[in-house]
Amino acid sequence: MKSFRAAMAASLLAACAHQTASAATGNVLFNGTITATCTITINSNGTMTVSSNLQSLSSHNAGGSAGSAQVDTTGGVQLSVDPVTTTTVPSSDVTATTWTPTFATTGAQTIAETGTATALTVPGTSTVAVNLAGTKSGTNRFSAGNYQATVTLRCE
Amino acid sequence: MRRIAILAAGLTAALSPVAATGQSMTPMRGEVRSFTDAFAVRVFPGNPYNQRIRVEVHVYDQNFEPVAARITPSAFLLAGQASRPVLVVVPFDGANERKVRICTESIPFPSEQTQIRAQICGKFFGHRRF
Repeated sequence: MKSFRAAMAASLLAACAHQTASAATGNVLFNGTITATCTITINSNGTMTVSSNLQSLSSHNAGGSAGSAQVDTTGGVQLSVDPVTTTTVPSSDVTATTWTPTFATTGAQTIAETGTATALTVPGTSTVAVNLAGTKSGTNRFSAGNYQATVTLRCE
Repeated sequence: MRRIAILAAGLTAALSPVAATGQSMTPMRGEVRSFTDAFAVRVFPGNPYNQRIRVEVHVYDQNFEPVAARITPSAFLLAGQASRPVLVVVPFDGANERKVRICTESIPFPSEQTQIRAQICGKFFGHRRF
């Protein structure tokens, strides 16, 4: 019986001899979710000038300048301009004007000048040039006085 | 009182974004489940400028028609580089689900010929649960 116990103990020792002690390890997971974000910062408003035939009042005309804005985004958003609804015209101007807002971007993402909603897919900072053109048709002309219009630049 | 409690519970379960300085509005996407006839969203308009600006919050439907939502507060002055929470409660108006846009608008600088109004809109989807 003694020899049997000794043999068992010896075999157990022999079995455990090759077992190395290992340190316990565990993984710590980190998760992060970034949802779509968008920041618009208006750098400057625009200026419209009238064309020589007095039928165009536009930031594209000579002496005019586009409005400028900066858009910071993670991507996954859409940039657009709304039809112009808020305008101030001189009392002498009683004829209809068609207002056409457009925008173009440079920087993180380049978008050619457009009036339709466009996806911003590239994360980063883009500079947006906002233009506005008012046109009159037929015999209608822009008249002397102060004109003012508001363009809504939307990021959604 | 019970209704307020349910609404608060729904709000807690819905959205709990972390406001970050310089963002115009966060979150910009969200899906909310509500057990009442309205759902609530909390958004954080931010002021990316260094000076104080006036901010307005509006709610529109998918066709950009105004929605009669309760916005608290709907217009306020926001300090430079700051953000603040705004609670928006949108009624289902009998529907089981409703998609709305919650838009933060900055008031343009005056006295310029062509003004730019910056508008950040988030899209939110409310589901009604019975």
